[in-house]
Amino acid sequence: MNDNDQANILMVDDQPGKLMSYEVILKELGENLIQARSAREALDHLLRQDVAVVLMDVSMPEIDGFELADMMRQHPRFQKTAIIFISAVHLTDLDRIRGYRSGAVDYISVPVIPELLRAKVSVFAELHRKNRQLERLNRELEQRVAERTEQLHQSEHQFRTLANSIPQLAWMADAQGSIFWYNQRWYDFIGTSPGEMPTWGWRGVQHPDHADRVLQLLEKSRQACEPWEDTFPLLGEDGNYRWFLSRAVPIFDSQGSLVRWFGTSTDISTQISAEEQIRNLNGQLQERVAELEAIMKVLPVGVAVSHDPESSVVTANLALSQLLGVKPGENIATRIDVAVAGSLDLYRNGDRLASGDHPLKRTAKTGEQLGSLELEVRGPDGKPIFLQSSASPLFDQFGNVRGAVGAFINVTDRKHLEDLLRERADLLELATEAIIVRDMHGVLLFWNSGAEALYGWKREEVLGKSIHQVLKTRFPKGFSDVENALAQTGKWNGNLTQFTRDGHEMTVACRKALKADGNAVLEINRDISAQLNAEDALRKAERLAAMGRMAGIIAHEINNPLEAITNTFYLLRDHPSLDEEARYLAKLGDEELLRVSHITRQTLGFYRESEHSVEVSISAILDEILELQARQMEFSNIVLRKQFRSKGTIWGFPVELRQVFLNLIGNAVQAMPDGGTLSLRVFKSSRGCDRRAEVCVSVFDTGTGIDPEHAKHLFEPFFTTKETKGTGLGLWISRGIVQKYGGTIRFRNISLAGRNVTCFQVRLPESDFQGVIDPIVGSREVAEKAEASNGGF
Amino acid sequence: MAASDITILCVDDEETPRTLRKLILQKQGYQVITAASGAEALEVLDRVSINLVLSDQMMPGMTGTELTKSVKAMRPTMPVILISGVNEIPADARYADRFVSKIGGPDLLFKTVAEVLEEYSRTALEG
Repeated sequence: MNDNDQANILMVDDQPGKLMSYEVILKELGENLIQARSAREALDHLLRQDVAVVLMDVSMPEIDGFELADMMRQHPRFQKTAIIFISAVHLTDLDRIRGYRSGAVDYISVPVIPELLRAKVSVFAELHRKNRQLERLNRELEQRVAERTEQLHQSEHQFRTLANSIPQLAWMADAQGSIFWYNQRWYDFIGTSPGEMPTWGWRGVQHPDHADRVLQLLEKSRQACEPWEDTFPLLGEDGNYRWFLSRAVPIFDSQGSLVRWFGTSTDISTQISAEEQIRNLNGQLQERVAELEAIMKVLPVGVAVSHDPESSVVTANLALSQLLGVKPGENIATRIDVAVAGSLDLYRNGDRLASGDHPLKRTAKTGEQLGSLELEVRGPDGKPIFLQSSASPLFDQFGNVRGAVGAFINVTDRKHLEDLLRERADLLELATEAIIVRDMHGVLLFWNSGAEALYGWKREEVLGKSIHQVLKTRFPKGFSDVENALAQTGKWNGNLTQFTRDGHEMTVACRKALKADGNAVLEINRDISAQLNAEDALRKAERLAAMGRMAGIIAHEINNPLEAITNTFYLLRDHPSLDEEARYLAKLGDEELLRVSHITRQTLGFYRESEHSVEVSISAILDEILELQARQMEFSNIVLRKQFRSKGTIWGFPVELRQVFLNLIGNAVQAMPDGGTLSLRVFKSSRGCDRRAEVCVSVFDTGTGIDPEHAKHLFEPFFTTKETKGTGLGLWISRGIVQKYGGTIRFRNISLAGRNVTCFQVRLPESDFQGVIDPIVGSREVAEKAEASNGGF
Repeated sequence: MAASDITILCVDDEETPRTLRKLILQKQGYQVITAASGAEALEVLDRVSINLVLSDQMMPGMTGTELTKSVKAMRPTMPVILISGVNEIPADARYADRFVSKIGGPDLLFKTVAEVLEEYSRTALEG
């Protein structure tokens, strides 16, 4: 029923006519009029509907109005229902008071005044309406309150749920500080159950060291009604203390008075221990940093650190700073930026490094590890400094590159040393002498290319082997002498015999030196075989020269009287005074003298019958000689084979040439006393590096051959294999003559199936001028002679 | 020209060889004058008409070649033959017409003398 609803007016009267009149009067109120003819009917209506006002006739048969009113008043529902008595009877004040006492009642007497009736009814109707409104509002209010309360309950429930789920310990206390609620965590931690909790301040679970302070502060805050915070350990169920950060806040009502306390305690044990760890770590870190700084300071290696990927900040340690000539700690980023004037240029293998290739910058940027690079930088004084450089990246916690560390070792000295050593090594390689180093057991440690060339062993083949094994050294006096000398003086010089790889024997001038530390021996060997041979040859030549000089002197001394004697016999020959016997004796003397002449001619005279050389045909000379030898050859059963492909014409002196070939052919014939074959060949050839034309003459015999032992001495003077005849000078002289012509004479001995062939070959250059080099003067003669005879002196 | 028309000046510092040489040349039919030294030879040359000088090489004072030079200076058309026991021809022997070894024997000597005289007479004829 809302405010404007019709109220139900119940009219009770046993007289319908009265009911009708009431209806007419009340109609204009607009309310709902209900008629009832009896009290019972009225009750019925009352029960069925919500009646605002009951208009009641007092006098009614059976149950009168007062009785009805009493009945209504007994019913709780109708206790407050308004009743208007309509009474014809005069009611005493006492009656009215009685009526008023029973609530909401009014009287109207008959005759009813319509306006009055209307007014009273409308008042009560209105009242009823208002009551109903009020009831409704009340109900709504109650509902709201109930809802509110419910919400509050829910909130509180949620709060408790929340409070129980947070990891913190939580509690609530009343204004006096008495804790009336703990969250579940609390119980879990402390290990108590609700109801067993300690008092305000939690004395029982406080750490003795902290308890007093905590409680003091807490009490202070409580009294001041101010928020409280403290950190202290609490004893847990497991018997261990844990650190808690505890807070409490006062809660005030709308009037500002303290209603309760709300607090939390947060377990910061891990945090505390973490903090302690961090403190420790920090301490350690600081120590490490200090160590690092000390190391950097003391390190002789230059170290630079790039603090960002762009290398805008680069610091150098003491060593590097000194190297670069900068102050320690100064940012050297600009010094390594080639774009900046005055920066330090880095070179690698002679090429200037671009900015990005600076190892430190590159690593700081790209994160790549750069291994040893040799770089060159110009020092503050302009001299080059060589640095062995490497760079390592630095990474942040995400794995990104955040900088780099570079190390720079000054290897300038080492490089110089290396260069020096390399030069020395190169020099050692250049040396043609064999330079060898061996240890005290003779094991080879060093073998230069001179040694390789001299001995024929490559260094890979001999290093690690014993020197004496390799070289088969023969010492003049014995190994121990050498060792002693070395041990005492540290040196030894001398000549040794050593063998090359292919067994060739040679004499070596050896200088040994003991290394300073006494662990190895350095040897420098020089092949002096050639030198010795040359010395030998020189000695021989000198001997020969001496002999020649002597021969010259002897020649002169002998030739003079020889000529005289020859002349004497010449004169005696046909002297008339001689008888037959005397003539015979003279003839004998003459013949023997001829022999002497022959010998002296051979030995003491390289004489030439003229100064002019003439065109000589070797073939012709050979033919002449063959004629002379014909008888002997026949006698010895020697077969002749001639192969003259050329006349073999050269410019020379017939007599001496004849002497040469007479010697060779004579030897050949003498080598075949019991028969054989004599072969002669003459041909032209061009040979030699200058392709000069030569006449080659070969004399072959199938005689006794030449003993290898004799072969060496064949061309030596006074060497002869013939027992009786021979001066031993023939081949020597022949060779001398051939050499004067600039030619060669060689022999070969071939043994084949028991048979022997000996071959002597003479090669004489075809000269294209009319002179032969005179050994004494060394000049060409004929042209000069022609000039001399024309022009006088 | 007959041998008898030829006068040879034979120079040698040693007497016996000199004498013997003279004898064999004379046996050949030549006229021979001797001198014991280069100086003497030059002096003779001055006085006497000589056709050929035959001199020993090794002589004290003046060697054969030195004598040759002087002779040729005095008489450019004078043939000079040097004879010697040395076994090597000296350098300035080329000034002489021939250098003969003593061990060549008398035949060689005669041959050489004859050759040289022949050459010179031919040259003289040709003027």
